[in-house]
Amino acid sequence: MVSVRRHTAYDQSVYDSVRRLPIEHKLQVRGKRVVLKPNLVEFDSATTINTHPLLVHAALEAFRSLGAAEVRIAEGPGHRRITLDLADAAGYFQTIPSFEGLFTDLNLDDISAVLLKRPVSKLRTVYLPHTALRCDLLVSMPKMKTHHWVGATPGMKNLFGLVPGGVYGWPKNVLHWAGIDESITDLHAAFPNTFAIVGGIEGMEGNGPIQGTPKHCDVLVAGDNLPAVDATCCRIMGIDLLKIRYLRISAGSEALAESSILQAGKSVSSVQTNFQLLPNFQSIRLV
Amino acid sequence: MFALLALASEGEVYSQAVGRGLNWLRANQRRDGGFAPRPLVEDCTWVTALVLLLPAPMLARFHARGALDWLLSKTGRESSWVQRLRVAMISGRVDRGAPEGWPWFPDTAAWVSPTSFAILALRKASQRDPRDEIRDRIQRGQEYLMSSVCEDGGWNHGSTKALGYEAPSYPETTGLALLALDDLPPSRVARSVERAKQYLQATRSLEAASWLHLGLLAHRQAFPPAPTYATRSRSTQEVALAAILRRALDGDDVFGAP
Repeated sequence: MVSVRRHTAYDQSVYDSVRRLPIEHKLQVRGKRVVLKPNLVEFDSATTINTHPLLVHAALEAFRSLGAAEVRIAEGPGHRRITLDLADAAGYFQTIPSFEGLFTDLNLDDISAVLLKRPVSKLRTVYLPHTALRCDLLVSMPKMKTHHWVGATPGMKNLFGLVPGGVYGWPKNVLHWAGIDESITDLHAAFPNTFAIVGGIEGMEGNGPIQGTPKHCDVLVAGDNLPAVDATCCRIMGIDLLKIRYLRISAGSEALAESSILQAGKSVSSVQTNFQLLPNFQSIRLV
Repeated sequence: MFALLALASEGEVYSQAVGRGLNWLRANQRRDGGFAPRPLVEDCTWVTALVLLLPAPMLARFHARGALDWLLSKTGRESSWVQRLRVAMISGRVDRGAPEGWPWFPDTAAWVSPTSFAILALRKASQRDPRDEIRDRIQRGQEYLMSSVCEDGGWNHGSTKALGYEAPSYPETTGLALLALDDLPPSRVARSVERAKQYLQATRSLEAASWLHLGLLAHRQAFPPAPTYATRSRSTQEVALAAILRRALDGDDVFGAP
């Protein structure tokens, strides 16, 4: 099931809406360890690039209220090494009380080598951070954006931030050589207990994920099936999901057909708004 | 490593803390001479360059020549012999002096930060080891950096354009790259120096401010004091860099040649 909720601003109403999402999806988090994985990319106080801190705080409160034993926030940015300063610039210290104590820099976290089962990328083993490996539920919290390599960057591409820069560098170039779309698929397979809350209240169109322009889409999209969440995001953004390679590899067209995805909340058609695409990406426009 | 470098810059070469750090390093040097970022990690990486920045009395505690040879053997994947052969076959010529940087992780592309650290390490090593190969790699590494300058004059991670769009630079990489280019003629880096000065007045990050200060200091530039809010330290690395900077301001730069 994928939930689509309409919100026109990052305000107090987001807290109530986000609190309902785990209940709607019957997530059992009492006594469990939950990790919220926002998308922190660039020093930007306008939060056009990064996941809005209010959305992350709302999720933190929601999972705490449902009895989670621990809720942590964790991210490993791909380009900028000074993660806490990046989070500060994105407003996380200001919005989330005791943020520093709740946060793990996944680029520098303790790691284990994980043997990938049935990898589709050139990776066979990947080092992954304990905070992500040892949690009971990993919540991917990206922003709804276009992406100049893979087309769109909702829930699954956000998993790149789990790969430790402290081992692979900034950027995590090993994933590019192993195949970007294939690596997304392998990372998704390595984390079976995931949920996604995609912030599309204000997304990004054009030359995303960094240099694009803000796009008001006024939605939150959530679900425990990440390919289905991403497919729904693509439909909302006016992108042909069958032309998003990592989605084709991960789930195939049948599983991602609109009729195969149970929809809660608003219908896709009621919130659909075409995101501007770079000239080289016009071919992925949903027609 | 930054903590060890900071202690070294303070002259703490023979203290117990330094001894523990060096013993740990010695135990973790790999058979091929390189160092991995963690004992669990199989591959040696860019951190080998950081080890080579230690002063000579510390380097004497392990196989420094092996680490140096490891560093010299690494190159960005785009500069590997396979890629060069491919380019040579297509273009019909071999460019022996082409820019050549260092990757973060073996068998991946070269990027600005690992290239800068490698240049700094090789420059120190060149004082003890007169091999032409070292001088050649420093020069080609610097050319790599010069080929990676962003339109605004600074450096980012190493991608100046994405799909034809100019990408902006970052303060911390701008400072670090300037540090690695300190022997270039002022005219070649004038724009970058100005960019660093602009960043220094605006940055809120202590680590970025430290790199910018070090970069400008390497080019003998007077710089404005960083804003007072750029003084909160959040990590060991930040504290270590601030200490390194303090000593550099007194004329003892741990990144400089001995």
